[in-house]
Amino acid sequence: MKLRKILSLLLVLVLAFSIAGCKDKAVDTSKKAGEEAGEDKGGKTDLSDLKGTTIKVYTHGGNRVLGEEKKDADGNTYRDVENTAFLKYLAERFTEETGIKVELNVVTNEDELRPFFQVEDDSVDVYTCPNWSLAEWAKYAEPYCTVEEGKELYGDYAAAMPNDGTYIYSIMPGKAYNQAVVYNEEVIKAAGYDEIPGTLEEFNAMCEAIKANGATPISMHRVENWPLATVQDFAGYVAGNANVFTECLKTENPFSEDAPFGKTIKMYTEWKAKGFFEPEQYTDFGVAMDSVAYGRAAMMLFGSWVVPQIQGRVPDGKDPAIIKFAPAPDFGAGRYVLAAPADNWAICKFSKNKEAARAFIEYIAEDAQFIADSGFIANKKGVTPVVPELYSIINEMVDAGKCKVLFSPATDDNTLANQEILEEAGLYADYKYVGLLFDSLDVTKPDDWSAYEAQVKVQNETYARYKKELGLEWK
Amino acid sequence: MIWESKLYKVSRYIFLTAACIFVIIPIIPLVFMALKTGAEYSSTSVLTPPKNWLNTYNFKYAIKVGKLGKALLNTAILLTISLTLQIVFTSMVSYVLHRFDFKGKKIVMTLFTLTMFIPVVTTQTVVFQIIYRMRLVNKMASVILLYSGVGIVGIYIMLNLLSSISKELDESALIDGASYFRIFRSIIFPLLRPACTTMLILNGIGYYNDFFIPNLYLRKDVQTFTVALYKFFGNTATPFEIVAAAILLGIVPIGIAYLLLQRYIFYGLAGAIKS
Repeated sequence: MKLRKILSLLLVLVLAFSIAGCKDKAVDTSKKAGEEAGEDKGGKTDLSDLKGTTIKVYTHGGNRVLGEEKKDADGNTYRDVENTAFLKYLAERFTEETGIKVELNVVTNEDELRPFFQVEDDSVDVYTCPNWSLAEWAKYAEPYCTVEEGKELYGDYAAAMPNDGTYIYSIMPGKAYNQAVVYNEEVIKAAGYDEIPGTLEEFNAMCEAIKANGATPISMHRVENWPLATVQDFAGYVAGNANVFTECLKTENPFSEDAPFGKTIKMYTEWKAKGFFEPEQYTDFGVAMDSVAYGRAAMMLFGSWVVPQIQGRVPDGKDPAIIKFAPAPDFGAGRYVLAAPADNWAICKFSKNKEAARAFIEYIAEDAQFIADSGFIANKKGVTPVVPELYSIINEMVDAGKCKVLFSPATDDNTLANQEILEEAGLYADYKYVGLLFDSLDVTKPDDWSAYEAQVKVQNETYARYKKELGLEWK
Repeated sequence: MIWESKLYKVSRYIFLTAACIFVIIPIIPLVFMALKTGAEYSSTSVLTPPKNWLNTYNFKYAIKVGKLGKALLNTAILLTISLTLQIVFTSMVSYVLHRFDFKGKKIVMTLFTLTMFIPVVTTQTVVFQIIYRMRLVNKMASVILLYSGVGIVGIYIMLNLLSSISKELDESALIDGASYFRIFRSIIFPLLRPACTTMLILNGIGYYNDFFIPNLYLRKDVQTFTVALYKFFGNTATPFEIVAAAILLGIVPIGIAYLLLQRYIFYGLAGAIKS
């Protein structure tokens, strides 16, 4: 009995100490973050003390470090280091100017960093990883600045950067127009069109003409879930409302064709039924990009980031400018393009070189040419942007009032509630990717829509059940 | 009876031919892919033969850019050290468990057996923390440490063979004044050679193909072959014609090892099954 009492007492003491320890740590972190954000707000930090420091940068954008993958005159793959390793050259300039050395590392995805962050490893200073949940950002990234400070520097785009309402965890120094139609001009010209048509009917007619010419109208790359992330934004164009995905929360049957989101899925499913997507699965996204670059397919429905990559794949002897970027047609509510912040840069929470890491990210944010080479437009206050040629069609149409700009919605309670329902209902394949919502796309046959109807019914019922069970409503 | 025997022979050939086809079929498109240009790969089916059967570009590119030579050397060093240590440790443990009676022997055996039911992946969150605190991450020692551990399969193979080695040999040696270590080193270990070969083959192939452990513990300076192969995979796109060439290059060492060790492999596996 005595031993039990001693053990219980010990256990209570250990628990008390550990709770106290956790509290102290949490207070320290937030305080420090606030101080640091404040320090930088005033202007440039003196970097002379940081001379000789080495920062380790981990990025999933290997093409900007190793060079874009291109094909030589014989069709063999090679890396164009000289012309496209933009981050490598930026890092060299940064070292030359500041004396801070940069070690660049390429990761395939965020899973490679996670184990090291879980043990609070300090070997990562800066990283780019776009696919983390807000909880993970808060856990593994140093708060970069407050949302208010972000708004001061990046305008309304700051609200769409990963933030918890108080702090922004990953700064996005570029802005871009997402998502739109990335197309091969030669293919649509061969089908009798000079530009992406203005209405859905005309667009469908163009796709029929492309198909009749023996090319694939739209490369979807359905075999992976992530390319379908665009559907969230296309639903915005269908409804003329950027917040339409989150507004699923307002209804009990978001996947029915009378709801904006369901209408978008129906539209995609009709395209599939009409044979507008690739008949055979691509083995890799590179093959999907090649299909457009080589003119075997006419277009992809993606963001601007993919344009330089497809242009880099255009075969030798052809002008890469045949790959163009234009707004989606009018799906019934007008013609739109989505403006969103681009390129995630974060300071690792466990870095011992946070000041140097911040200096590097600020250097990136102020290099308008690097941001343009990456396919984006510099967005930081005081930086003169360089607008990449790929935006020319969209810019002209926006200026002429033929296309309206929708603003990427900020993450709020409704966004998180909708995501939670979808995740609990098993309708989210990955964080932020809605691949499973496309089950109806996979089961529908051209002349038989009964499987589609059944799938939509199941998805609606599942959504409504979890919405009720979780007690989440639109606020 | 003759009819039955003929039927058996025919069905055996049919079955073996089908098995060979199943094994060879995936390698054919791999060879086709490795000999195609990037443009050709993305525009043709994987079953379409290459235009130029002598195109070695992808192999050269894989060796140069993927640093496959260094990766293969790292793998060879890792396997040599790990397998040597593992065989020595496993044979020692098996010898003790078979020849000696001691308190807790059953518990030790049960604990070893229990490890069979725990998938390696599930323990890695904790194991990674331990290895990290030991400051071994990014060092070859981390993987060597994990690969050198004694596994229950190895123990069973050794125990089965030890049962067929007469205890009288140990007793004679003891009478002649040999220590237990001397008995193990000079009598038991040489007789365990077939079991050692079996372990060498089974674990050697397993470790050569393992991606999970080296990818988790070795980040960049000491990549093994499988990790070097993975580095060709991009965040969105992957040049699969280069990956195919790299895979074929990776088959070469295994092929050479098979040709050199064919006799041992056959006897090793046959011995393991018999025992």
